[in-house]
Amino acid sequence: MLILAFDTATDVATSALVSDGEVLGERRSRAVTVLEDIDALLRQAGAHTRELEGIAVGIGPGSFTGVRIGLATARGLALALGVPVAGVSTLDALAAGALGALPVVDARRGEVFVLEDEPRVLAPAELRPSPGTLCVGSGAVRYRSVLEAAGAEIPADQDERHVPRARFHAQLARDFGPAEAVEPMYLRVPDADKTRK
Amino acid sequence: MILGIETSCDETAAAVITPDGRILSNVVSSQADLHARYGGVVPEVASRRHLELVTPVVQEALRDSGTTLDDVDLVGVTAGPGLIGALLVGVAAAKAIAWARRLPLAAVDHLQGHVASLYLEPDPVEPPFLCLLASGGHTMLLDVQERNGKPRVLGATLDDAAGEAFDKGARLLGFGYPGGAELDHVARNGDPSAYAFPVARVPGLDFSFSGLKTALLYAVRKLTAEEGERRRADLAASYQRAIVRALVERTRQAAEQIGATRIAVVGGVAANSELRAALAEARAAPLALCTDNAAMIASAARFSNPIHYPGYLGLDAYASTA
Ligand SMILES: [Zn+2]
Repeated sequence: MLILAFDTATDVATSALVSDGEVLGERRSRAVTVLEDIDALLRQAGAHTRELEGIAVGIGPGSFTGVRIGLATARGLALALGVPVAGVSTLDALAAGALGALPVVDARRGEVFVLEDEPRVLAPAELRPSPGTLCVGSGAVRYRSVLEAAGAEIPADQDERHVPRARFHAQLARDFGPAEAVEPMYLRVPDADKTRK
Repeated sequence: MILGIETSCDETAAAVITPDGRILSNVVSSQADLHARYGGVVPEVASRRHLELVTPVVQEALRDSGTTLDDVDLVGVTAGPGLIGALLVGVAAAKAIAWARRLPLAAVDHLQGHVASLYLEPDPVEPPFLCLLASGGHTMLLDVQERNGKPRVLGATLDDAAGEAFDKGARLLGFGYPGGAELDHVARNGDPSAYAFPVARVPGLDFSFSGLKTALLYAVRKLTAEEGERRRADLAASYQRAIVRALVERTRQAAEQIGATRIAVVGGVAANSELRAALAEARAAPLALCTDNAAMIASAARFSNPIHYPGYLGLDAYASTA
């Protein structure tokens, strides 16, 4: 099965073209240019859009706008190509790329998205990693000092384990179906709903 | 065929038009009800809704037009100005569709889209003309010399847009959000000369509506709840008269200044019955094309220089033209 995978939920947009588990190519850029990466991946692999059999897309949590760019891209592709889509949590993809690690994504406003038993949003100080816990992701990099003080171990900033690599989205993707059934994972209500009486 | 997509504010819209400007379908899914409880458009709420609606709306537009993507030769999408998070949903979807089919993409300016609502069949307007664009987000006078290219801006609002003034006034008078249309309706039973609301005098060809809104606020405050209820139609009619008068005066002044022989009115406020009557010499956009829609975006795409594959793959949206 030829799968196109991408994740634009974090500052580093990732993409991969994977054929029956074999990674044909991987790229990184930003959400707005993810389609340039997708185009390059197919060209480099000599693959035609017609040959795509599934799309695996990162559903967040992460930047709301980034998540939407990814899902709108997936929905547009699915509509035009008639291929099914599967959503993969950005936290799950990070976890798959660093076995045993705790994925921590920067949620801005002084908070992080983490995968404990389930995806949650909390302040870095509320996250009490047991000593020696490996933390990966944009949140781990941003709150390195807080998390290291709590006993966590964090790879160097440039370590690829901090990025939700799209090869793992392709690997984790299950239940390919209609694109509109794949929903974003925001984990936060819009501000207006919070202040509304 | 040209597929148009619009997600700049609170309408998720898609349309299919023919290469010669006939509308085959024009689907608009308004989020007004969703935002009513907030009393205004909440960008994050709007963006979330656009994502839910964008591809279903495109599919509906294709279905309604009796065409498929195989018939589409050009995709036009609003790239700005507007709410950036909202725009990016439409731009991402449009880019993906265009790329998947190797179609050219037109990055349409929303304001030029409004002007292009005049170029659709069956009764297109031929430039040159002076165009009053009045909506909830914009109020400007444009010197339109040709269908392709950016018109010259002769004047613009210094504060609120005309549509915003209508909606804010409507809220002060206790109409729901957005209340501009209801205000227009109630004003028909009121006396437009009951209250003398000031028409702001600003230099040049610009507009200002914030003083008017304050005047209405003071007038309403002076009344008891019961009086306010009784005089609501008069207040609405007088307030509407003041806005319309400001728009009409400035528009005629601009037409005279540039020697325009033809005047046109576009945008949500162009649906206002009093404005249409007061500016009887002007060509107003068809009612269905006044508020945000994608047929006008497809129409603007028709007269734009499309970006060919792969030039648009990194296309970004822009919040403002500045
Ligand atoms: Zn508009």
